[in-house]
Amino acid sequence: MSGGEKKKRATRSQGWEEAGSEFYQESYPGDGDMEVLWKDPKRLATLLPSKQTRAVGATIRLRTQDNRTNKSTVRRHTVNRSRRDSTVHRRTSTVGIDVGDDSMLPDLSQMRSNEETAWEEIMKLKELPIPMAKKKEEKAKIMSEEHLLLQGYEQFKWKRKKAWHQFTTRISESYQKMELWRRDLKHIEGHFGTGVVAFFRFVKWLFFLNLFTLVLVFLFVVLPTILLDDREINCDEENTCYEKYYCRINESNLALSIVQGTGRLESSLLFYGFYPNEIQSYTILNKKMYFNLPLAYILTTIVYFLVALVAIVKTGSKGFRERLIQGEGQFYQYSNLVFGGWDFCIHNEKSANIKHKAIFSELKALLEVERLKEERQGRTRQERWRIIFLRFIVNSIVLAILTLSGGAIYLVFNYSNQMLNKDNTAKILQFVYEFLPSMCIVALNITVPVIFQFLISYEHYSPLVQIRMALIRTVFLRLASLLVFYASMYAKIRCTSQFDPDDCAGCTGRTNCWETFVGQQIYKLLLTDFAIQISITFVVNFLRAFLARHIRNKFIAFIGEQTFDLPKHVLDVVYTQTLCWVGIFFAPLMSVMASLIFFVLFYVKKFACLVNCKPSGTVYRASRSTSMFMVVMLVSYPVALAPVALTMSEIPPSVSCGPFKSLTTIWTLVENTFLDTPSAVQSMVGFLTTPAFAIPVFILLILLLYYYTAVNSANRHMVTVLKNQLVLEGHDKKFLIDRLLLFIKQDHDKRSRLANHMVDGDTITNTSSLQS
Amino acid sequence: MGNKLITFTDQQLVNYQLNEESFFVAKQQHFRVYKKFREMKPDVIPRVMKKNEAYSIKLPVECTEQLAEFRENPFKQRIFKVFSRDSRGNLTFEDFLDMLSVFSEAAPRDIKVFYAFRIYDFDNDQFVGPADIDTALTLLTKQELTVEERQQITEKVIEESDVDGDGKLSYIEFEHCITRAPEFLSTFHIRI
Repeated sequence: MSGGEKKKRATRSQGWEEAGSEFYQESYPGDGDMEVLWKDPKRLATLLPSKQTRAVGATIRLRTQDNRTNKSTVRRHTVNRSRRDSTVHRRTSTVGIDVGDDSMLPDLSQMRSNEETAWEEIMKLKELPIPMAKKKEEKAKIMSEEHLLLQGYEQFKWKRKKAWHQFTTRISESYQKMELWRRDLKHIEGHFGTGVVAFFRFVKWLFFLNLFTLVLVFLFVVLPTILLDDREINCDEENTCYEKYYCRINESNLALSIVQGTGRLESSLLFYGFYPNEIQSYTILNKKMYFNLPLAYILTTIVYFLVALVAIVKTGSKGFRERLIQGEGQFYQYSNLVFGGWDFCIHNEKSANIKHKAIFSELKALLEVERLKEERQGRTRQERWRIIFLRFIVNSIVLAILTLSGGAIYLVFNYSNQMLNKDNTAKILQFVYEFLPSMCIVALNITVPVIFQFLISYEHYSPLVQIRMALIRTVFLRLASLLVFYASMYAKIRCTSQFDPDDCAGCTGRTNCWETFVGQQIYKLLLTDFAIQISITFVVNFLRAFLARHIRNKFIAFIGEQTFDLPKHVLDVVYTQTLCWVGIFFAPLMSVMASLIFFVLFYVKKFACLVNCKPSGTVYRASRSTSMFMVVMLVSYPVALAPVALTMSEIPPSVSCGPFKSLTTIWTLVENTFLDTPSAVQSMVGFLTTPAFAIPVFILLILLLYYYTAVNSANRHMVTVLKNQLVLEGHDKKFLIDRLLLFIKQDHDKRSRLANHMVDGDTITNTSSLQS
Repeated sequence: MGNKLITFTDQQLVNYQLNEESFFVAKQQHFRVYKKFREMKPDVIPRVMKKNEAYSIKLPVECTEQLAEFRENPFKQRIFKVFSRDSRGNLTFEDFLDMLSVFSEAAPRDIKVFYAFRIYDFDNDQFVGPADIDTALTLLTKQELTVEERQQITEKVIEESDVDGDGKLSYIEFEHCITRAPEFLSTFHIRI
């Protein structure tokens, strides 16, 4: 019995019925099925149009029919509009229901599918959630129909489209195979879950960003200098300021100069001081070409900062969008945890246990938050004041600590410079003084967060807010230390007196090549930071973990066991990146260093994660992590941009070295180049800066902002309205199904009564005929 | 003996062209998938599979449960039941490939949501009701929550996602709720 079989299939994939033509021909199912139907009302629901349009064959046909320009479809719509004014007018449903009516009209709709539409249908098959066997059936069905062959231009277009599609799929497949660090990422994912993997993807992203910067700088600054620079340095007679500076660099021990960035390294390509300030010329095919190196230097700096900003904003907006969606539904915490909590990638028993515990603790934490909320409601006024007072105290302590750290860095910097300027210090002491500021900063970066962690427990925040506060404070610490570092250097390099282009130092009391000096400081800071990170990961933390693993002692476990604290590692990485950004301006070859550092950093962090740490109890969410990374990057971007911008616009470049020797500020070069452009461009740009242009644009931007805010709030309102409507529709549907069921039942009863009555009548007539 | 296992001849691959068009697992990875499949029971599964054997040879559920990717998954029994043809957990190669395809990174959200719904609907009544959520919680936390806590959480989940007020989650409500869970796409995937 075909009817019965159809119903059996219905149990398996309810709501995903195959809409064969039978469903459209009959208004109600056949008699034999009615029994089954009214016993289980849900099956009646499968006849609803909303369930039908999801069915396989109908969807594909209807979708591709929508795509084709189809006169008969239009005609059908106009006919039906009058009938269907009030209901929601879904195109697919209209077309579907009309198939029955259309048997009256000539079959113009039966547009033969050509190869292209058949191919599109097969592509769409891929995305339908039906088992493979059904997909194969469908594909066979589509392929067995006759297709019109496309000819001429159409065929050319379609073949090109198909080839492009195959090409892109093949490229993406091979890219997936070649993906850098794929195996490592999978390994980490299996042990620690997707939140931690997001961090490693972030490191990978930064590595590629730095690689891009390296290529840019190398191509446009370093390579031209290597190939085209033909200056002759005459160290016997020191005529120019540059020769005076260059020849006086003392070549000390090679190892020392590598570590400190002095000596041979100072006069090399690594630092800013080496680059010439002339327009290089070269001949190709007997034609003289020019390459403006100083301009190239500025432009590459601007480009790599811009690209970094665009990359951050783009990546951040992806996560931000999801976060916004999530924020609007902050109310889905429990469902999120239950349905999306288990990480299907985990295939290690230990990690699985940890994950179970993590989900358990997070559930408990959520329940605890509920309890806390209730408790907070019940808090007395006195208690509230007490807590506010405590928070105020803790915040002031934090501020005090930050100021103290800043002051300490400043003092240490000045002291070490003082000591270095004295000539009679021993070699080893000199080494110590060179590195004193960097060591100070690094030491503060390690110890102060621990103090913050200790203090935050007094503030009685909820766990989520606690994490955020800790993160914010540590970010401030790191960036503040950098800012103080800049400030202490700034005090040394700015011009206190009038700028004198004849003086080789530019101003009185300034070092001869201050950009190289700044570059050296940043170089040392970067090296120290990296070296300490490596030593802590591979030596200190490894020992701690080793001890904790092999000695079962409570105290040892306390100091030995570590978890992979995501915020701390993120800050490490972002801090390194900030230093690299600033450093590349003052030392172009630092881009090489940056790429290498990030490559090694991946493995260092991987070691720290897999070997030293146990999986942490807190469940890190991948999406939230990525947006957090981008926010931290965005916060530290100005800290990297500020010194470079300041250097370019305010501080007079040094007279004795570098590509900007003869200028009052670096920005004047850009201005001069601009003045050389044709007057049309100049007048246009001039117009852009006049109030006649700026004010209307400003007003327009404000209007746009207001418009988008209004649209946003209207959308939110719409969401609540639609949600309510959804509820009402659900009620309607339920009501209608119940009534329909009642009607079917009544009808069925009536018919069975009639049938029985006839049977009785028969027996009566039979008996009567027998009798008679 | 050093060569790779030959699984499909080229002709079979051509016949099986549907792979490229209906799976999200890349064609090159099919070899790896087949290797995994065969490793579970090498004496039953041939080295070179004929076309119709792909959907006739079944692996009993005890074998698939031992796979590294699924061993630790608390929902593995339910996953196998959902994807198997006979609804009892015994997978053919086609079912296996289908399953890995749904769980791969390239599969679109809609497919994942659909199968997630079926997985979480333990009693197969087309709704994720309180009993289903309770079962899911027990599997997730390995029975460490007390009964009251489970009940409280179940109430909260239903409260959050139930729109039409019938006390259980239909497919639409589940889909709506899962769309708000941005980690779903990243957690609901298995790497091979």
